[in-house]
Amino acid sequence: MTVLMVLPAKLATMGAKAEHDVIVTSTPEFGEQVRQQLNSSLAKDSDDDEPGSDSNAKTKPEDQYIFDIDANPTEAERTALRDKVNSRAIDGFLWLTDDAIAAHRVTWAGRETASFRERTWLSDSLNRILLERQLSRSGLTSAQSDQLLQTVRVDSIRIERGKESKGNGTARVIEIVVMVMLIYVAVLLYGISVMRSVLEEKTSRIMEVLLSSATSTELMTGKLFGVGAVGLTQILVWVIIGGVFALPALAAQASFGDLQISPFALIAFAVFFFLGYLLYSTMYAAIGAITTTEQEGQQLQFLVVIPLVLSVFMLAPVSRAPDAPAMLWMSMIPFFAPILMYARIVLQTPPLWQIALSIVLMIATEWGLLILCARIYRVGVLIYGKRATLPEILKWLKYAKA
Amino acid sequence: MSTTQTPVAPAQNALVDPKNTAPVVELNNVRKSYDEFVAVDNLSLRIPAGGIYGLLGPNGAGKTSTIRMIIGITVPDSGTISVFGQPLSRSHMDQFGYLPEERGLYKKMKVLEHLVFLGQLKGLTGAEATTRARNWCERFELTSWLAKKVEELSKGMQQKIQFIGAVLHDPKLIIMDEPFSGLDPANAIGLKDALLDLAKDGKTILFSTHRMDQAERLCHSICLINHGRAVLQGDLAQIKAKYGHCNVQIKYNGDARFLKESRLVQSFNDYGNYVEVRLAPGADPQELLQLAASCARLSKFELMEPSLEEIFLEMVGKSSA
Repeated sequence: MTVLMVLPAKLATMGAKAEHDVIVTSTPEFGEQVRQQLNSSLAKDSDDDEPGSDSNAKTKPEDQYIFDIDANPTEAERTALRDKVNSRAIDGFLWLTDDAIAAHRVTWAGRETASFRERTWLSDSLNRILLERQLSRSGLTSAQSDQLLQTVRVDSIRIERGKESKGNGTARVIEIVVMVMLIYVAVLLYGISVMRSVLEEKTSRIMEVLLSSATSTELMTGKLFGVGAVGLTQILVWVIIGGVFALPALAAQASFGDLQISPFALIAFAVFFFLGYLLYSTMYAAIGAITTTEQEGQQLQFLVVIPLVLSVFMLAPVSRAPDAPAMLWMSMIPFFAPILMYARIVLQTPPLWQIALSIVLMIATEWGLLILCARIYRVGVLIYGKRATLPEILKWLKYAKA
Repeated sequence: MSTTQTPVAPAQNALVDPKNTAPVVELNNVRKSYDEFVAVDNLSLRIPAGGIYGLLGPNGAGKTSTIRMIIGITVPDSGTISVFGQPLSRSHMDQFGYLPEERGLYKKMKVLEHLVFLGQLKGLTGAEATTRARNWCERFELTSWLAKKVEELSKGMQQKIQFIGAVLHDPKLIIMDEPFSGLDPANAIGLKDALLDLAKDGKTILFSTHRMDQAERLCHSICLINHGRAVLQGDLAQIKAKYGHCNVQIKYNGDARFLKESRLVQSFNDYGNYVEVRLAPGADPQELLQLAASCARLSKFELMEPSLEEIFLEMVGKSSA
């Protein structure tokens, strides 16, 4: 799993060759100034505690971009540059002549239009250069203008249960993402094995022997906890292995120093993960109970996946307004609670009664679902042959009342 | 399904086991229906302690439905079931050994592990279950397969494993749904011997079959059901005495006028010096023997017991006429 998380970021930077660009200005001095500013802002950029740039940090900015300066701002030169881009001699050029600056429109031309990240970086850097130029023209020294142009850094401090905790927004996002990922992986990998094992007993007909020794509710509960525990053990092994390999690298990352997870959030994580996993596994067990083959079961998988995906979609609105009544009640819905309530706890700890209520609701739903499942299982396995329709299931529940 | 209401087996009570010991299983007016289909209709039966009890009937007669209710897998719509003199409850489960008609084992499990698992489900300790499983496997010559996976075994072997699983915990009541189906003759004999041994040990065995000849050879008492109703039940010998229209085979030489005696003979099929006679209801074969001997020279006089199958076909014929 760790490999899966790190690999894409590595891949994105691995094969990347340095980009060769040309800066076209009216004077070579100004071109040099621009080049320095761009390089220095690149270096600063990778020091920022943005998680996306972690892996870029090791490559020096000079390795990423090579800037040439061209002080020949003529139309002929522009055409020549365009041809060079076309023949792949260079990757792009920045048209930054005095005329263009006066018109407040500079052009970046390349084979690939700049990504969003590049565009903001470019315009930020250029704005700063132009401001500096203006300031120096109006007689300020570079030290003075540096002082004027200093940006402020916003440190976010969250007040959690009366105490200030320094965790930054990034850490919160990581906590939630880890939760979402773990639930997703656990449910899709191991929840489905609950369904499979229910189906196996049905197709191998062993359940009739089992039912002569234990009640269907006992069987279902046992299955859920048994298969569930197998899944959790495997996940635990993964997490430990992943931790052993990833922790040194993460610790080396300065930004992770800020990542302080409170014990309360840690407990909440364990509780919500476990309950969520159980709940979704129970849903899989129910699917196993009403279907007869794995193919049929997979067709019904959407019943599990939809609430899971929905709660991920709901993450954005919830994190914008964790305390809004709509979000509150949304996070109370047992199928959403593992992700949404947990997100609320991480973002802005809600009152304790809300957490307790959502836990109680989840447990109740799970228990109800389990009993329902056990009944369907008992009747369904004995009248086998086809997938049950909804009216049939309702009828079965009636049969199985005792 | 033409359900002509026929009061079958009017002398039911007279046929119940005369020893009248407390029955191991007692069903009173049990009814079970699935949607409109009535699987078991007002069935009452008593399974006496000890011995082999046969639940007979054609396919779809309601045998499996009845068995499932006795074990407690399904619940009757109405009527009561008691076992060992008490209303059926979960606490009785461990005293049952059940071999369902639809056999099934975990295919990926090893034979010994599987048997131990089944034994533990019924409350045995792991060590106890292991010892017993080994002993049983020795009896069925399966010892070399103990460490194999279930899926590597032949169907017949799997069935033997499942039988062992059903009796491993030494249950008082052993219930087998069509235990002989799918077994080759040699294995069927092995299974029959095992069942007889268990019966000798004082266990009560209930087994269902659609093969009347099997039941005839094994059972002490039977219940014959058709369309979910009991057609015939009680002690096998008494049933035969009561419902058997006896046939007599006679080899003779001489006058055949004894065949004209309509008080004794219902019908006959004469081949000249060999005749098959169907006795009139209630007729005494002894009387016929004397009459025949008085007018012809006999080289053979054999009383043919009716087979259960004949009785059944006759009863069913009557009830759906």
